[in-house]
Amino acid sequence: MDVRSQIGMVFHLDKCIGCHTCSVACKNIWTDREGTEYMWWNNVETKPGTGFPTRWEDQDSYKGGWVVDGDELKLRSTSKAKIIPNIFHNPAQPSLDDYYEPWTYKFQTLFDAPEGDDQPTAIPISKITGEPMEKIEAGPNWDDDLGGSNIYAKNDPNMEGLTAEQKKQMLEIERISMFYIPRICNHCLNPSCVAACPSGALYKRGEDGIVLLSQEKCRAWRSCIPACPYKKTYYNWSTGKSEKCILCYPRLEAGEAPACFHSCVGRIRYLGNVLYDMDKLREIAMRPEDELVDAQRELILDPNDPEVIAAAERSGIPDGVIESAQNSPVYKFVKLWKLALPMHVEYRTFPMLFYVPPLLPVMSTTQGDVVRNDVDSLFADIDKGRAPLEYMAKLFSAGNLGKLRYALRKEMAVKIWRRYVTVGDISQADAERALLEADCTAEDADDIFRLTALATTDERYVIPPFQREMAMEMIIDPQELKAEAGFGFRAAPKRS
Amino acid sequence: MRLIHLSSVFPLLLASVFVAPVFAQDPPSEETINFFARNCASCHTIGGGRLTGPDLAGLTERRDSDWITQFLIDPKGTIDAGGEYEQRILAESRGVYMPPVPGMNAALAGKLIALIEQEEQKEKSQFAGVQVSDRPLTAADVKKGRELFLGALDFESGAPACVSCHTSASIGGFGGGNLGPDLTAVYSRLEGRTALGAWLSSPPSETMKPLFADHPIESDEVLALVAFFGDEAASGLEQSESQSLPFLLMGLGLAATLLVIFDLVWRNRFRGVRRSLIQEARNA
Repeated sequence: MDVRSQIGMVFHLDKCIGCHTCSVACKNIWTDREGTEYMWWNNVETKPGTGFPTRWEDQDSYKGGWVVDGDELKLRSTSKAKIIPNIFHNPAQPSLDDYYEPWTYKFQTLFDAPEGDDQPTAIPISKITGEPMEKIEAGPNWDDDLGGSNIYAKNDPNMEGLTAEQKKQMLEIERISMFYIPRICNHCLNPSCVAACPSGALYKRGEDGIVLLSQEKCRAWRSCIPACPYKKTYYNWSTGKSEKCILCYPRLEAGEAPACFHSCVGRIRYLGNVLYDMDKLREIAMRPEDELVDAQRELILDPNDPEVIAAAERSGIPDGVIESAQNSPVYKFVKLWKLALPMHVEYRTFPMLFYVPPLLPVMSTTQGDVVRNDVDSLFADIDKGRAPLEYMAKLFSAGNLGKLRYALRKEMAVKIWRRYVTVGDISQADAERALLEADCTAEDADDIFRLTALATTDERYVIPPFQREMAMEMIIDPQELKAEAGFGFRAAPKRS
Repeated sequence: MRLIHLSSVFPLLLASVFVAPVFAQDPPSEETINFFARNCASCHTIGGGRLTGPDLAGLTERRDSDWITQFLIDPKGTIDAGGEYEQRILAESRGVYMPPVPGMNAALAGKLIALIEQEEQKEKSQFAGVQVSDRPLTAADVKKGRELFLGALDFESGAPACVSCHTSASIGGFGGGNLGPDLTAVYSRLEGRTALGAWLSSPPSETMKPLFADHPIESDEVLALVAFFGDEAASGLEQSESQSLPFLLMGLGLAATLLVIFDLVWRNRFRGVRRSLIQEARNA
């Protein structure tokens, strides 16, 4: 058993209101520099929709992630043979058009314009060329709230494989049904971007598994961009280096939650470390698609198991980190309650960002002027949600309906239970039956409720002690430059 | 004994003093011979008859060494400033001035004059030129010459085919190489069989000399080439048609074909996603 610690995240989609505060917080801190205008390390997508960059889930085009080839796991984007013909250009990258051309407005004309018949207008200016833009054609959340767009929702890659009837059903209700998915780098356990980088610029931090991209080693091969199936590495055209979400590690090291977590008004985000068994990763990554959700849970170890604790200590994981894993909300949501699911685990990168699937409003039908829904009680059957479960299962459980239904049913059961506890218009027998059906105890239901609805900052963000000062000592002697050069000389990333 | 010795040695010593000036003209240095071979021999023989330029045998009798030195340093100036003799040799060369010789100076000119003087006294100078057979040339010679020119027939010595560096009007296609001059009118340029034969027997130019020094062209091959060039000259063309435009057009055509092939081979390549979605929706 080779125990490692990894920072994990849970986004509770049932609570996300799609306000983009996380995106803006991230943009203001990290990507307001030249060359990074188009990057959204954190973005929020409306589903059904094509996302950012457009149709990023379409791996036939973008070639992200891993595929099983015989008894080997192979990158879809590159190989030893493909490196040479693609050496100067990775063909499967999203173009700027698939992201969007970033722009601002020429606000000064609002003040400077000479008096005329019309109101002065602030025209859009491209942040790439500095020239006025004739027409803004796309943005990072262009299909925001457009659940029914005949371009974007219709082309959602997750719609593939649905029956014609289900598609029709989704297009009928498209105007009123949608949910949001905030996305950041998943800091995967088996990151394909790291595997694809020919310069060795991408790496996974040993102590917490945060995937980082060295601005000194990056040589702009752009192999990571097609390789990452979530399209969460971005090329900075100004510095000639790629960049990605760093999970605000400077904040984490200071014991603070990343900016997008911190700013989340819906408090949908949870962060904590989990312990996993590195020895098992290879075997587990080869499992059939519909077993992958369970396989990833199998990888995550019980931090209270004395055997695991002993193995973790053997691996040099500090006590504080183990203790933090024991309190981790991520461990609870993912492994204990099985509520949180990894998005697109079929890419086999084992994302460490998990989503609690949203409970959608129930289906309704319109007859003349009367809107009626086919529900006889307050809480409807999850199968009657407006988006077919098959669609959600494609997103969150690699098509495994059972895993998705389990999570949704438990969420529903908690609601029924709490309704019984707090309002009392549901009988105890009904509430207990709901819990039983959902494989949930009353204690678990209360815990889930508490962590979902009432949790404080410290409960939502259990940040392990990073002890960078100790990690640092392995590389350099902190006393070496004492009173000589402060923090040393840092070189800004630039084309060399 | 001692006296006898002295007396017998003395006349020898004395003789040596008088005889010395006779042998004072040292044999010309290797350097001078090479210089002559490289710069002069292609147009001039010494006792071998006229090539492009006059036979240099008897030069020192025709003109004094000052004139020769002056001429070597500035051929055109000397001819233009000169009188009847100068006009005559210009006319004999069909109005072509001798090109100025790079690196020429008075000292070198003196050495060359000495070389000419010595060579013309020999029964057969090493610069008498090569005598090419004067048998009548036949159509078979022309054909063989053509094949040699094009490289269809190898030179026996393994010398490279002419076409690799030269072109000529009748060879067609995209012509020959552009490194060397166009040889369409070389027969008349070099004034016929003798001079051209001499050139071919030992090509003197800077480019050809190192190539052909170890791979000389055999005399029957020289004759065949002379026949071929004679035939070319008979066509009356001055030079072969320029092939630049057809070459350019064909290059463009080939490039376009390749682009089409690449486009077909990689027709399923990735071309961006969003734009096609929009287009699809508009078309629907």
